[in-house]
Amino acid sequence: MSKIIKNLKQFSTSNDRFEGAHLLCPGCAHSIIVRELLNCTDDNLVIANATGCLEVCTAVYPHTSWDASWIHIGFENAATAASGAEAMYKTLKRKGRLKEPDKPVKFIAFGGDGATYDIGFQFLSGAVERGHDFTYVCLDNEVYANTGGQRSSSTPRGASTTTTPAGRVSYGKKRYKKDMVAIMAAHGAPYVAQVAPNKWKDMVKKYQKALSTEGPVYINAMSACTTEWKFPADQTIDVSDLGTDSLVFPLYEIENGHKLTITYRPRNIVPVRDYLGVQGRFKHLFKKENQHIIDEMQKAVNEKWELLQRREEAGI
Amino acid sequence: MEFLGWDQLEAGAVIPSFEDKNSDIVKLKQEERNYAKTNSYTASVADWRVFKPVFNKDVCIDCQNCWVFCPDTAIVARDKDMLGIDYDHCKGCGICAEVCPTNPKSLIMFFENDDNDTALSQWPEKKKKEK
Amino acid sequence: MAEKLKLQEVEVWDGNMAFAQAMRQAQIDVVAAYPITPSTPTVHGYAKFLADGYIDGEFVLVESEHAAMSGCVGAAAAGGRVATATSSQGFALMIEVLYQASGMRLPIVLGLVNRALASPLNVNGDHSDMYLGRDAGWIMIDAFNAQESYDLMLMGFKIAEDLNVRLPVMVNQDGFITSHTAQNVKPLQDEVAYKFIGDYKEVNPLLDFGKPVTYGAQTEEDWHFEFKARQHKALMDSKDTIENVFKEFESLTKRKYNLVESYLMEDAQVAIVALGSTVESAVQAAKNLRESEGIKAGVVATRAIRPFPLKEVARALKDVKAIATLDRSAPGGTLGMIYNEISGAMYQSDNRPIINNYIYGLGGRDMTQKDIKEIFRDIKRNADSGKLVTPLQQFSGLRGPKLSFFN
Repeated sequence: MSKIIKNLKQFSTSNDRFEGAHLLCPGCAHSIIVRELLNCTDDNLVIANATGCLEVCTAVYPHTSWDASWIHIGFENAATAASGAEAMYKTLKRKGRLKEPDKPVKFIAFGGDGATYDIGFQFLSGAVERGHDFTYVCLDNEVYANTGGQRSSSTPRGASTTTTPAGRVSYGKKRYKKDMVAIMAAHGAPYVAQVAPNKWKDMVKKYQKALSTEGPVYINAMSACTTEWKFPADQTIDVSDLGTDSLVFPLYEIENGHKLTITYRPRNIVPVRDYLGVQGRFKHLFKKENQHIIDEMQKAVNEKWELLQRREEAGI
Repeated sequence: MEFLGWDQLEAGAVIPSFEDKNSDIVKLKQEERNYAKTNSYTASVADWRVFKPVFNKDVCIDCQNCWVFCPDTAIVARDKDMLGIDYDHCKGCGICAEVCPTNPKSLIMFFENDDNDTALSQWPEKKKKEK
Repeated sequence: MAEKLKLQEVEVWDGNMAFAQAMRQAQIDVVAAYPITPSTPTVHGYAKFLADGYIDGEFVLVESEHAAMSGCVGAAAAGGRVATATSSQGFALMIEVLYQASGMRLPIVLGLVNRALASPLNVNGDHSDMYLGRDAGWIMIDAFNAQESYDLMLMGFKIAEDLNVRLPVMVNQDGFITSHTAQNVKPLQDEVAYKFIGDYKEVNPLLDFGKPVTYGAQTEEDWHFEFKARQHKALMDSKDTIENVFKEFESLTKRKYNLVESYLMEDAQVAIVALGSTVESAVQAAKNLRESEGIKAGVVATRAIRPFPLKEVARALKDVKAIATLDRSAPGGTLGMIYNEISGAMYQSDNRPIINNYIYGLGGRDMTQKDIKEIFRDIKRNADSGKLVTPLQQFSGLRGPKLSFFN
């Protein structure tokens, strides 16, 4: 049974299982996303973590920040580590070898966008196809932040990264971001959703739905990166607000591969340029010769929003 | 933690979170848990801070925005009350002060070396709404 | 509950079936596997046992060998018996995770059906994959035929899961020559085999929620060295457990295994050191040469490749005058692995035999009796001359002009 979280006050009585004095940057959204997930359930947890910021900052010997069973193998295989642990759980349950057989256990995998969109893409695809009962959360900060800010296939068009730097003849990354939510929905996963930490209630609701769904779940979490998006550490929630309110990160869910529901409709949709304007990675786009990129990005966001709305209406 | 020789280490670099067995960690508040010295809870990142949030209980409405958005599990909320900052774990990012909705704010960033009582004595007045 | 399977006293199995049967009897909790020639029939056999109710574990059919070993690591850390099988390119793909499995001290058992590595692509047996894994921190054991594949697979679990060891074990057999050749195998009955291995013993399982643990932490220059040293110590010390398990198996089956196997060595003056199915071929050639040419030939093979039985192998070779080391893997710009290991072992010995190196059988090229006899005759000349009169490294069974190095 899901933990009942009616409001923030009640939510705040949760006893954290993700501890401080981890080494993530001040203002990192990763830990906000992780805390909200861990705090939305009282179930026992097995967490598999791909190599990346979250992993290297929360399990540096001799310290762990996790008050739950946790494993990191490599960059690419968090989904498979979770698969293996979940398979073992099933066997031991069947064979009567679990210590607390009646207590629910949830399997969670965390990966950054590098681990999810790129190097672990096949592993995630395989695990979802096999139908393991687990929730994969992509902490999507649209860049290889841990290795120094290189582009990933989640990096948005126009962003300046260390491998797609903006320069005299370049406006940064040329390609659009991969649509991971659509790809995971196309796997037929019973539940797929996009979340953002600023909309905590929406996030908790989706997390709880994810954990109570039997079978594989994919959650794409916008994770504003103060270091690589280049904004002040105290602005994480404000930048996230601009992300969701400009619809660059629309919040929606897809059930059983087709039933799409938009879960957040901004009262005032803000222009994409406002979202870009607060981040150093897009600074060069405001130069005269690059302005058309902003226009193109706005157009792409509008089209995506239109598509989501039509799909929601059509129930497909 | 002290540096140990190869013969003193747990095989496989496995790190325990707690000293003892707890059948239900999630039911225990942090102060009720017997953390292992290998749990980062026992460590401090206080020296990361340049600015620190100072908490003014008189203004706080216990909305818990600071609690939910704190990336460092450094807001001490118990039984729906905001009690203060865990300065061992706060890195001074300033998110709590930024998301605080009260007027004046219940959390304001000060220099790390400023005295908290002095900071509280200098707390700003309620701001009038700009027209 | 899994059904029992009644076995004949003597079964006719190939090496893959021997692996699959031993894996079935071990009642593994999770197998994560991906197909690759020539180890596929191991996985097929296991799948069929599962489909017929002879196995009660989970069978995770992953999308790559990297994922196979990743799934094994996740499952083993969760706390239960885990195994898989692979070959060649698949093994190469899982290399990253092999180091993680041993570093986390997880007792996974891997059946490695040896095959060449591309390029050029080749599906047949040589030891390139085995050699690729030799620094991965695994216990590596070599089976020379189907019976040994069965026996050593059973023993693999017992060695890996021993509380003094807790290291992954790789059981090797030759691709096709062993894996696809039906031979007589004397199996144990299911209860006897399972009882020999025993129940799985948990160490720091992820599924013990009363005591949550973190696996796979980062250790930098201030801790890494100590952990790797500890791991190496465990691997070196595993020798005792391996020998104990061999003894226990012998008392159960009368089949005797040793860290180093010696054949016809009592009075041998020259010896071949080899691995895999070549061992049996070399013993046959040695017997023939003893009769036909009076060459006092013998054969030595390291049953355990890691931990390397340095002292035991030196003892086995202490009375010979010349040694031929046979490596079935392209040496990549130096002498073969066995040459280097044996030279290292013999350098400290009193007799300091003359040692040379043969590269043979790459990509499944047959090692014929004629080839082996030629090698024995070569080293007989070295022995008689009291010095190296052959090239240090030669290629045996190769077409074209004679190829040798370090002349």
